[in-house]
Amino acid sequence: MLRSLVAPFVLALTLAGVSDAARADDAPSAADIVAAADRVRNPQNPFRLSLVLVEYQSGAAHDSVTLAVHSKIDSVTHQYRNLVRYAAPERDAGKLVLLTGGSMWFYDPASKASIRISAQQRLIGQASNGDVLTVNLAHHYSSHLLGDETIQDADHQPRDTWHLELNAVTSEAAYAHLETWIEKGTMRPVKRKFYSDSGRPLKIAFYRRYESALGAARPLETIIIDAVDPHLVTKVTASDYRAEDVQDAWFQREYLPRFSEE
Amino acid sequence: MRALAGVVAGLVALAPAPASARDDVDLIPQDVLDTKPVPPPGKAAATGSAAPGAGTQAASAPSAPRHTLRSKVFAEDAFSVWSPAVAVPVPYPSSLALAWQNRTSLDGLLQWKARPWLTLTLSDRLNVFEQDRQSFFAADTVRNDLREVSATFEPTAGTYLETGRINVRNGSALGFNPTDFFKTRTLVDQSSLDPSVIRQNRLGALMVRAQTLWSWGSASVAYAPKVTEPSPVTESNPVGIDPRFDATNAAHRVLTTLTLELFDLSPQLLGYFELHRSKLGANVTRSIGDAVVGYAEWAGGPEQDLIARASAFGKQTGALPAAAPVLPPTSTDNSFRNDVATGFSWTVATAVTLNLEYHFHESGFTRGDWKNWFDLGSAPGAPPPLTGALWFVRGYANDQQEPVSQHEMFIRADWPRAFTRDLELSAFAFVSLLDASVLSQLSASYYVSDAWTASAFVSGNFGAGRTERGSFPQRGNLILQLTRYL
Repeated sequence: MLRSLVAPFVLALTLAGVSDAARADDAPSAADIVAAADRVRNPQNPFRLSLVLVEYQSGAAHDSVTLAVHSKIDSVTHQYRNLVRYAAPERDAGKLVLLTGGSMWFYDPASKASIRISAQQRLIGQASNGDVLTVNLAHHYSSHLLGDETIQDADHQPRDTWHLELNAVTSEAAYAHLETWIEKGTMRPVKRKFYSDSGRPLKIAFYRRYESALGAARPLETIIIDAVDPHLVTKVTASDYRAEDVQDAWFQREYLPRFSEE
Repeated sequence: MRALAGVVAGLVALAPAPASARDDVDLIPQDVLDTKPVPPPGKAAATGSAAPGAGTQAASAPSAPRHTLRSKVFAEDAFSVWSPAVAVPVPYPSSLALAWQNRTSLDGLLQWKARPWLTLTLSDRLNVFEQDRQSFFAADTVRNDLREVSATFEPTAGTYLETGRINVRNGSALGFNPTDFFKTRTLVDQSSLDPSVIRQNRLGALMVRAQTLWSWGSASVAYAPKVTEPSPVTESNPVGIDPRFDATNAAHRVLTTLTLELFDLSPQLLGYFELHRSKLGANVTRSIGDAVVGYAEWAGGPEQDLIARASAFGKQTGALPAAAPVLPPTSTDNSFRNDVATGFSWTVATAVTLNLEYHFHESGFTRGDWKNWFDLGSAPGAPPPLTGALWFVRGYANDQQEPVSQHEMFIRADWPRAFTRDLELSAFAFVSLLDASVLSQLSASYYVSDAWTASAFVSGNFGAGRTERGSFPQRGNLILQLTRYL
């Protein structure tokens, strides 16, 4: 599951392009397709959800992490801000990660210390921070439509998709470059490939189990395959989507010791 | 570089798509697809809502506030062994040198949101000590560390009033936090010497505190009253369940903070008021690219230097005779003195995070102070009260959690998934810039399961006999620790 950050003018295009997205077969623009896919993945109103990340090695489950993610769009920058709480394993329970704008903070209730961390500090195992945070790709990447393709989804079902490439246009983008396959008509992300600055494939993600959540069908499972060692697979399962009264004051380091809601 | 990535991706895209797609989807193990979705565990006892993960059909309205009890409880056993003592220039008080110690602890952090506007917090550790030269039935065997017990009221959204024993921590650096004004005299027994671990087990202070948060920052004021006279600095454990208010609340103290979310610096301004030791402070942080975070802290105010403060405190608490001279000799002037900690963290390839910091502690020892300290303590016939007084200064600095020397470096490396997903390695070193002596520690934590963690810590003091770290008689320490989360 990939998420990233945003640029305001593109969101404006995104909002303006709702009707275009609905006419997917009329070859909407690449930006419209990406923005529509963002809306499939991300509720527009403040919300929370639970994520369970399970790491598999050669098909055998190993570590798992459970997170609660609270997200809200910044009314000024139109970027998503995220507050992530570890629920399990027990040794990490209660720890928090705050991402707002370009800054990221880590809070440990044991030490009551809020430490600013870099985007590269991986806190959640094989999946990167960008994989669990709510982001609008349209704001961080320029997009280019490569064409249409029929590909197999994670369940080996054929999907008629738009194939696009995205290149980062902001320093806050989690990946330098990615490809995405978005199903025509539904605008559902089917698959993504992520690349490093050097063009090296980093991971492949498949999106599946689309079910209704907060007013739209959203992918409740993301399968992330390590492109370097394909035996490493992470499954991210989303559940318990709920609209939530997320306050703007939550998104600062001084709030972290105060956070106590589920 | 990204343009090159685009070319590469373009070439990838031009490859036969169906074949490529089939290859990718075939990488997914069937077991991964077949596994039933796992509902998030509900450690927190929640009321007023469906069980977590009970369904994916989300409510469209904001969820109602919940009453929750959160807990984090673990049992821990740590066995420590020290290397045999060697002769040092300034004789070390023999009562402070142990050969071994075993600590068994039950540690709990409980937080109960009793009402939407009321949160109760309890953080406590109960320890049982067995150690060299001490009977199991001694008064020091059992000790309770009441770290926090507090009630927090939220009369209006974003405004908090709290009272009780509260651990207030500030600062952006790792090895030394000049703006962490409530850190003094809060140390309790630690397994690791790592400052980031030490912070996890320290005493709060009795206080009342008010804080208000806006979308762009926050302000707070805390008042910690004096409730008793200060206790002496001691390495031995106080009796039983003593909450040690004589360490944390032996002076009237006020702390005001203003935190702003500005210019990607997150500046924090602090004013700390204590009789004879009021200070101003500030700290900032900033991301530099996606792998580096820079940070800086400063605090300054009128105070005596470390030696004079230690001497005065020793006399006040009866640890030193009232007529004892200030040793090593120093001025007792009260002048403006600065503390600075600045450095950066650098994450390499999303795997290893390095921290490098410089610490300046103006009231600490100069080279001249160290020369006096060693000359006095190593003089032929130096009596135990004299050497004890010299070591007292260093014990006082440790109790205050301030460096002894004026200049030092701090280096730390953390590798969370070292070689295997369940192994975390870390190492740190304090390096004196006055004599190049080093205190370092290597640690390894193996996550046996979600519930069990096994850890080992190896620390050492390195340096010649007449250096800060080399002057300790016990050069090495090994700790084996087993933790079980309950």
